Amino acid sequence: MSDLPGPDTPDRVALVFWTLARVLAACAGFILLLTVTFLLLGIAPAEGLRSLWAGAFGDAQSGRWYAVSETLVKATPLLLTALGVTVAWRAGLFSIGGEGQLLLGAITATATVRLMGALPGPMLTLLALVMGAAAGAFWGWIAGWLRVRRNVQEVISTIMLNYIALYLLGWLVDKGPLQESARRVAQSDPLPSTVLFARLIPPAWSDGIATRLHSGVLLAFLAVPVITLLLFHTRTGFGLRLIGQNAEAARTARYPVRALRLQAMALSGALCGLAGCVELLGVTGRLFANFSPGWGFTAIPVALLGGLHPVGVLLSALFFGALTAGSGNLARFSGVSSVLIYILQAVAVLAVVGLRAYQALRARSEGD
Amino acid sequence: MAVLEGTLQTTATMATPLLLAALGENVSQRAGVVNVGLEGMMLIGAFTATLATLATGTALAGVGMAALAGVLIALLFALFAVKLTANQVVVGVVINLLALGLTGTVYRARFGQTGTSLVTAKLPVIGANLTVLTPAALVAAFGLWWWLYRTRPGLELRACGEYPAAADAAGVSVGRVRTLAILFCGMMAGIAGAFLSVGEVNTFIENMTDGRGFIALAIVTSGRWNPLGCLIASLVFGFAQALQFQGQALGLQLPYQFFVALPYAVTLCVLMMGGRWSQAPAALGRPYRKA
Amino acid sequence: MRRARDTVAAPSPLVAPSDPSSEPVLRMQGITKRYGATLALDQVDFSVNRGEIHALLGENGAGKSTLMHVLSGLTRPDAGAIWLEGREVRLTSPRQARAHGIAMVHQHFTLVPAFTVAENLQLDRPVVDPIERARSLGWSLDPQARVHALPVGAQQRVEIVKALATDARLLIFDEPTAVLSPPEVEELFVVLRRLRDEGRTIILIAHKLAEILAVSDRVTVLRRGRNVVVCRTAETSAPELAGWMIGAPRALDAAADGDGGGSVAGEVSDPVSPASHAVPVPAEGPASRAGGLVVRGLTVPGDRGEHAIRMLDLQVRRGEISGIGGVDGNGQTELAEALAGLRPIAGGQLQWDGGPFRPGVTPRIGYIPQDRRRAGLAVTLSIAENLLFDAVREPEFRIGPFLRRGALYRHALALARQFDIRTGDLNLPASALSGGNQQKIVVARAFRSDPELIIAVNPTRGLDIGATRFVHAQLRRARERGAAVVLISTDLDELMALSDRAAILASGQLTELSQQAVRTADIGLLMGGMRVSG
Repeated sequence: MSDLPGPDTPDRVALVFWTLARVLAACAGFILLLTVTFLLLGIAPAEGLRSLWAGAFGDAQSGRWYAVSETLVKATPLLLTALGVTVAWRAGLFSIGGEGQLLLGAITATATVRLMGALPGPMLTLLALVMGAAAGAFWGWIAGWLRVRRNVQEVISTIMLNYIALYLLGWLVDKGPLQESARRVAQSDPLPSTVLFARLIPPAWSDGIATRLHSGVLLAFLAVPVITLLLFHTRTGFGLRLIGQNAEAARTARYPVRALRLQAMALSGALCGLAGCVELLGVTGRLFANFSPGWGFTAIPVALLGGLHPVGVLLSALFFGALTAGSGNLARFSGVSSVLIYILQAVAVLAVVGLRAYQALRARSEGD
Repeated sequence: MAVLEGTLQTTATMATPLLLAALGENVSQRAGVVNVGLEGMMLIGAFTATLATLATGTALAGVGMAALAGVLIALLFALFAVKLTANQVVVGVVINLLALGLTGTVYRARFGQTGTSLVTAKLPVIGANLTVLTPAALVAAFGLWWWLYRTRPGLELRACGEYPAAADAAGVSVGRVRTLAILFCGMMAGIAGAFLSVGEVNTFIENMTDGRGFIALAIVTSGRWNPLGCLIASLVFGFAQALQFQGQALGLQLPYQFFVALPYAVTLCVLMMGGRWSQAPAALGRPYRKA
Repeated sequence: MRRARDTVAAPSPLVAPSDPSSEPVLRMQGITKRYGATLALDQVDFSVNRGEIHALLGENGAGKSTLMHVLSGLTRPDAGAIWLEGREVRLTSPRQARAHGIAMVHQHFTLVPAFTVAENLQLDRPVVDPIERARSLGWSLDPQARVHALPVGAQQRVEIVKALATDARLLIFDEPTAVLSPPEVEELFVVLRRLRDEGRTIILIAHKLAEILAVSDRVTVLRRGRNVVVCRTAETSAPELAGWMIGAPRALDAAADGDGGGSVAGEVSDPVSPASHAVPVPAEGPASRAGGLVVRGLTVPGDRGEHAIRMLDLQVRRGEISGIGGVDGNGQTELAEALAGLRPIAGGQLQWDGGPFRPGVTPRIGYIPQDRRRAGLAVTLSIAENLLFDAVREPEFRIGPFLRRGALYRHALALARQFDIRTGDLNLPASALSGGNQQKIVVARAFRSDPELIIAVNPTRGLDIGATRFVHAQLRRARERGAAVVLISTDLDELMALSDRAAILASGQLTELSQQAVRTADIGLLMGGMRVSG
């Protein structure tokens, strides 16, 4: 579990070997699970797998660029929210408030663009991102405050905060101040194209198909080293991880446990709020009632399967981004619902959690 | 007058599944287990009820099977959260995903491609346009209050949520009590889900619980972990939801989202003020490992 | 209460029980219990007669609690047999013990704080009406009151009534007076006598000699897991009991530097600093020569709101180890946390070198907490990270906001070498280490930055000889370089071997041992909460 550089002992080699072995075993188990599911649904497993693959990474006929870009686009909100989950859960705070924080981030970004429309495009984009992240941070901070001052568990408070954000969004785009000027559909006006993220791939490269790969994807990727640095290369990160493992030891070593909890919740909220902004400015371009298909919740299994480590979370988010893109293709091809991937996520997390808990139980019974 | 009647009736219809699920969650949280998977358990209940009603032709059988399905999925929860002492929030979130995936996949596989609309039998109405589940939920609220606060098993269950070591010292098997509490919670969630699919309407729609499980979780908090509190909170939340449909008829100027969000905001404010109102069971969410 | 009698240090022969005519209601024979390398109980015999109050006396670690846990079914002995009313019984669970009419009144109450009194009493399946039972003892309990709202004394009544409501004939009281005020203690004794007169048998786990002399009929003394003596209370005295409890006389002699009775010989040479020679200085005297910590009128609240430390005066000079002995639960944890600045104080003044006391700044503090797994380590983090709790916050290990991880790792490596932490890989989780090596992490952290004030609470509990010796050497080295050391330990040998001055903490108050050599019996008396004259 340690992340400090150490000498290259034979143990390290063994560790790498076992990690690889585990990844391979996980892949094998995963393909097996898919095969069984396909068989149960009456689909030829080879066809199903091929279709998934084509959706995620393209094939010779449809080209590669579009599929890969979709995978990256789908992975982006997952990555940012899962990083948010990682920060909070590392600090021992089991927040499920990512959804509300994401929505509030998107709302605030939209409102910012509306109110500050006079600013030049890039500056407005930056301001919208900052304000959105700040709003998410505030939403997380409330849950943190309730925890450190009122001993209210974050599981409970974040549920409330999620719904308040959801209904706030519902009202704002439905007869509220952010609704489109035509006042017909429950959505906002499209944001001016000057504030939106630039598309990264010219259609000419991808056989004339316009891809949705936007510069916000880079922002999300950039968050991985930033959070890695924060968690493992700063004293705040050290403190966060320490209070997550043993808050009493942290208190005894004079760490400001309350302040760290507040920081963790605020930072977690900021990342989720940022996810909302990025999706808004990069993909949807406008706000609407069903803005999030539950990223804030899906982020939790993504983060867990990434081992609550930013790099692992990146891989996990890419994996589920690919699955999401792939399952879209699968749905078109076979009529299998794309919610199929939720089953895969659930089974994967249960396998990991179950295995770890079982090992911990065994270690305990041997230790006594 | 007709408007008022309509509002009351809609309130009752909205409140019933919330109350059923909240009562289950109340018991589970009183035993020290926070079940975030309530939403998923309801969804599985709703879908199972539809399948079973289709197969048997009677909605009551559907409700029974939904209860059973809830118990089965709760068994999975208990295996991980109690037996393996895994993080309860993780297991709950996973259950939600699993339910969403399972019901969605099976629904599409069985009904999605045919394109015919899915219609099942419906629970019989027993007056005032309400099914038997509404008075049943009401009775359950009082019954559970009596059980929790006036009987010995209720006392033991609450001890498991407050101070499991003391319950253990008094000869109570904490793991067994918590498992049973979760199974009960699953059963209630299953019935609540069945109400949505074969009680309120006569069909199944993907993700038809639409966050009601989370509302029920909020209800348990605002009801102060007390079944009668849950009853009142369910009515408040249900009324707020009813205004969504009846608000215009009642001549309300404020947007309906305001009313729907209000109970959450009030609960949060109460939690912020602290004091006895926010006293959760002391061992809530903490796995119990025998020393 | 004390009779003039010379201190008897050597154990007396085992005295036969008092009344030969009655078969003892409880007989435990040859009870042996081993935890790893330590023998907690070594062939212990214990018997109690019907209708007596039988005190069980001993230091921490003497085996009192383990023996009673065997009796209440919480612990299974490795060997030995138990007879209840002449019949051999097997007690493998608390439920079985209860079925045999045994109940324990725990020191740390087993009450549910959020429940009412009535609910708590119901939880334990009473066979007699507990409220009536309380009334018969002259107590009026409000059944609807919430337990967390009751004062500690009232909570204990509920705990006692809970045990009585099972109609137990054999009642074990585990240090029942630890949280009570003197009038409450008196009241408790009245109840204990009344229970005895009802024909019940009472075992009183205790260390306060006055209380034992006041209330018990007979006493059994344990020392280091062995029987020392059984006698009638009326035929013994406080000094005699104290002697039995402590064993061979021990010297408080700093100059000898650790060759006190049975202690681990230190390899550190005689300290040069003249201040380390214990010249008896009254606690009130100012820190004239060496500076250090001066505490006046310190009052510290305990976890249940009681005053765990009451109006305590203490002086710890630089270049000196101040030993604080006593039995656990007399305010040790609270005192240590208050001195370390981790627990708010209710009153009193603290000074460092005559200036303001700002824990962590002036002075820099090294703290070895009592319970390493709870407060000292995060065992799921790596060994290196556990060594670096403090280092990561120091400017020298940062460039801008970032940690110098290479330097930190080298620092951890150096600490591991310096403090002899035996592991192949610092990146393993701390849980992979033995208890001794885990404790060395805590010790390394406490000593690494040459703190000016060191607070060590039972720093060697559970360690083997090698690790103990190592920790002792570190404490001495800290003294040599002029740190003020507060050593709070329940291990008298350790205290005597290391301390320049020592005091005993009993019921939240300190009594200084100001002689070069202190008669063992006096220490025992002080630990037993008594005053020593002359």
